[in-house]
Amino acid sequence: MINRKLVKFLSFRYVILALLFIILAGGLVLLPKFEKQEGIKPEQLLSNIISPERYITTDELADRIINQDPSLLLIDLRDEETFKKYSLPNAINMPLKNLFDEDSSAFLNQDAYDVVFFSNDNFDADQAWILCNRLDYKNLYVLKGGINRWFKTIINPPHPKENMPLEAFKLYATRKAASMYFGVAYPDQVKTNVPKRPRPTPKKVITVKKKKKAPEGGC
Amino acid sequence: MGPLLPNDIIPFEWSSIIAIVIGIFFGFILESSGFSSSRKLAGVFYGYDFAVLKVFFTAALVSLIGLLYMDYLGYVDMSSLYVHPTYLWAAIIGGAIMGIGFVAGGFCPGTSLCAVAIGKIDAIVYVIGIMVGVFIFSELYSVFEPIYTGYFYGNITLVDSLGINPYWFVFLFTIAAVIIFVLVDMIRKRVKKVFY
Amino acid sequence: MKIKKQNKHLYWNPYYGGFLLGILIIFTFYITGRGLGASGAMKSSVVAIVNSAAPEHAESSAYYSKFLDDTKSPMNNWLVFETLGVLIGALISGGISGRIGWRTQHSPKITRRRRLIFAFSGGILFGLGAQIARGCTSGAALSGMAVLSSGGFITMLAIFGTAYLFAYFFRKNWI
Repeated sequence: MINRKLVKFLSFRYVILALLFIILAGGLVLLPKFEKQEGIKPEQLLSNIISPERYITTDELADRIINQDPSLLLIDLRDEETFKKYSLPNAINMPLKNLFDEDSSAFLNQDAYDVVFFSNDNFDADQAWILCNRLDYKNLYVLKGGINRWFKTIINPPHPKENMPLEAFKLYATRKAASMYFGVAYPDQVKTNVPKRPRPTPKKVITVKKKKKAPEGGC
Repeated sequence: MGPLLPNDIIPFEWSSIIAIVIGIFFGFILESSGFSSSRKLAGVFYGYDFAVLKVFFTAALVSLIGLLYMDYLGYVDMSSLYVHPTYLWAAIIGGAIMGIGFVAGGFCPGTSLCAVAIGKIDAIVYVIGIMVGVFIFSELYSVFEPIYTGYFYGNITLVDSLGINPYWFVFLFTIAAVIIFVLVDMIRKRVKKVFY
Repeated sequence: MKIKKQNKHLYWNPYYGGFLLGILIIFTFYITGRGLGASGAMKSSVVAIVNSAAPEHAESSAYYSKFLDDTKSPMNNWLVFETLGVLIGALISGGISGRIGWRTQHSPKITRRRRLIFAFSGGILFGLGAQIARGCTSGAALSGMAVLSSGGFITMLAIFGTAYLFAYFFRKNWI
């Protein structure tokens, strides 16, 4: 025998299905909305921030510039005026507010270069670093102390005192040599030819393709 | 997470095999729903069979709601899916030509392929016709080019062009679809039955 | 009995078919990031045929050359494989329900010849329209609607709108 209750239930099957659909669609409207987490997880970001590896000291940077490290990409976060007055050799100007312009992501989101952020001090560079790191960009560094420390240590290194250890003198010698490379003249060196501030050919920055392959069209 | 192929979760080499598997299911569903019969398809325009409309709208609703839920739960990123680009006049004119072709020929490309597979001769002729149509378009491309490439609005969605909340849109769309289904059944009861 | 005679046409409940099709579209988007398609394979075939028949012509044409790639054949395409699958799937389904057989389906009121002529001209129009709109009912309308693409909705409305408008003129062919 046919189950009468089942028959009665089944006669409403389209109504039930329609209601199910409307409830499901209504559920979408009613679901609590939240901002999607973009980029890496907060815990990961925090541990990246704490890690001291994200800093590069002025000495290391000077060394890499002098050795003409091809994988170095310097990004000056100060505004255009100050950038024109003075900047590190071969740096690219990218004011902090323009950091996420379309053409700048090609410089930032790639893994061919070590990107070094710098500004007058740490702060802007740190901000840029955190913003970019959150988006999971690779190989980002911050110049510790920024341009100010660059001046204090490389361009105008403090003369070590007599009672300082030998290392300090050695460091002073390297810094002095480095500063000469960057075009600073010292009275005791005047006779020798001051090397001109070298201008290596501008780097070609390869626009790295987006890692995600965009799906292609249908018909 | 998803989509899996573009994000390299499934290696690229698999794409052709996946294409065949998806195609098999697509063909099976279309054929089993009766889309290999041109008279069943054409029924939607004369009111004696609304299978096309029902299948079409149910599929659109299920996929829309499903994708939105999957996007919400983080299984798939809606923004990285391929969105059919909007060329306003190309879509309207192309759609209009396709509409006439649909009612004249009684198939659309997907369904004609199903019909070819089960040996319908009219479908084979139809597929040859489509190829001739493509050939004509390609040969006269310079004539069609202004429409084909003009009025480009980008790969936009209704969210961009109407500024509407997608969830509300889907909700209203669902209600509209249910009403259409009911109406369509009422119409079918009044129209003389056609046996095919 | 009529029912016995109609048995060959017993198809799935359209809602059931639509539900499965929707699931398949979700699955397709989840795996490949794009929707289904059908007319793309026919375009690839035309490009391949023209390319083998008249390579210089295909090379110089503004439209064919878009789809020509020196490294691979135009038939080595996602949509071509998908279409092969469609043929196989439809064959399986038709085989299960015993619908396979050479026949031309047409209304008893028209001749077979007339049906074929209309099928051919309809095909030409659909092929032309699908190229202009960059997709057919499956590629543009169905897959476009699943991701709320404006173009997909416009194409869908245009197809069904015109089809309803012109249905009157073709009514003899069907009813």
